[in-house]
Amino acid sequence: MSENESTTDGTGSEREAATDGGRKAADGSGIVAPDDETPTWRERKERTQGLSQLTYEYFERARREDQDLRTESDYVERDVLAFPVWPHEMIRNLALTSFFVGMIIFLAAALPPHIGAPANPSQTPAVILPDWYLYWSFGLLKLGPLNPDLALLGGQKLMADRTYGVVANLVVVGFIAIVPFLNKGAARRPVEQPFWAAVGVFGVIFAATISALSVKNLIPMDSHLLFDLTFLLPFVGGFLTYAVLKSMREGYMFELNRRYYRLRPPK
Amino acid sequence: MSLERKDEFDHEGWMKERDLTPIETIYLTTLMWLDKRLRIVDYLELLEDLYYKINMQMPKSHTEQYNLDNKFWYWYPLYALGSFSTIAYVVAAISGALLGFYYSPATTGDPSTAYNSITFIMTDLRFGFFLRSLHRWSAQVMVAAVFLHMLRVYFTGAYKEPRELNWIIGIVLISLTMVFGYTGYLLPWDQLAFWAGQIGVEMALSVPLAGEWVAQLLFGGFTLSQSTLQRMYILHVFFLPFVATALIAIHIGIVWMQGIAEPH
Repeated sequence: MSENESTTDGTGSEREAATDGGRKAADGSGIVAPDDETPTWRERKERTQGLSQLTYEYFERARREDQDLRTESDYVERDVLAFPVWPHEMIRNLALTSFFVGMIIFLAAALPPHIGAPANPSQTPAVILPDWYLYWSFGLLKLGPLNPDLALLGGQKLMADRTYGVVANLVVVGFIAIVPFLNKGAARRPVEQPFWAAVGVFGVIFAATISALSVKNLIPMDSHLLFDLTFLLPFVGGFLTYAVLKSMREGYMFELNRRYYRLRPPK
Repeated sequence: MSLERKDEFDHEGWMKERDLTPIETIYLTTLMWLDKRLRIVDYLELLEDLYYKINMQMPKSHTEQYNLDNKFWYWYPLYALGSFSTIAYVVAAISGALLGFYYSPATTGDPSTAYNSITFIMTDLRFGFFLRSLHRWSAQVMVAAVFLHMLRVYFTGAYKEPRELNWIIGIVLISLTMVFGYTGYLLPWDQLAFWAGQIGVEMALSVPLAGEWVAQLLFGGFTLSQSTLQRMYILHVFFLPFVATALIAIHIGIVWMQGIAEPH
């Protein structure tokens, strides 16, 4: 880059043209076109038109912006902090993979799945269950008792119970999907954000209790009690988490910040 | 004199004024011919860029920079869960392809061809029980790993700013994983499969407005039949694999680009 600038320093008009980073070796990689007749990559790109031209101009601007930010910054190291996938993550993952594959092969050899009775439409089995990971969804289908009857509709329900169950599924998944847009900010650890950690614990316990509700025929417990516990336990867990984290928070944040300020003083 | 317009990128003229060997001429002609049609220069540029990026020194990660390794290592297994689900997916894909050689989705026969082929795999086929077992266990492990992976991402706040899009892709992927599990659960056509299918039809029917249409599309009718099994089979071995594989590739690609969010 500096070499290019020194060559274009001679004439003022040339310098004007070089405001966007020099004419040759446009990408700053130090690669010079083989001779005058071969267009540089930039020149080839500049011949494009329309949307691709716009895209290219935007990329140029973004790159320049990054460069400006980098030169402005006091930090020598990059400021974005993430763990590189290669090689750090991949090497450790590959080591764990061999254990993992061994585990699956061992399980597969030791515990083959059994085959049930063949399908028989005329005989409803006593226990109908999906696979375990769908219990929560199956449990949400059984929320009929929570479906409000509206006085406005003369005691009618707005939705059929089973529609209510399907909508409950959509609401749960939808809520999880928009979490990043509800919880913003730099806090990462549960102690730094007790409320959202409590929401998470609520969710985990609710997933467990709603799964238990879905298999209520198999659980030796009064079904009304089970229904109440399904909604009570998550709140208990959530409140406990919130209280514990909130009380841990003072001391913890102090320690964390002290270490950070020592290593990485604020500007 | 030719009437054809000459511009500054008259490569033929440029080649003529150079003193090129026959090999160079042939090479350049081929390259130019291909480049005109396939825009090879763009890909060459990408490769060149990659070459320089690979040879750059890796910047220090957060943990290295602030010497947090001693705090970080015991979290590490939780950070391998995404990788575990990918591996389980690959194992399930391979064993599933092999199972597909022996399975046929038909409800005809006594009790049904599908059920008979599962029985054949489990009892007669050499290592068949192992193959099916491997498929089932890797599916179970994949679902478990995906759930735990989501919890890890949630509790370490890894879904936050630049990673919201990947979180949503993850939600789609976890849903697809469960649909994978559901469609696979129906394929043996035993009692559990049949009645789980019944629940599925009822769920589809209770979707507001579009319910009957959804039931027709996914289950091929309001009662379970040959077309239900056929549709579940195609969803399981054709439709979902394409969608899920593409999404997994995008998901991992984004992780690769953004790096792994560390606990701060």
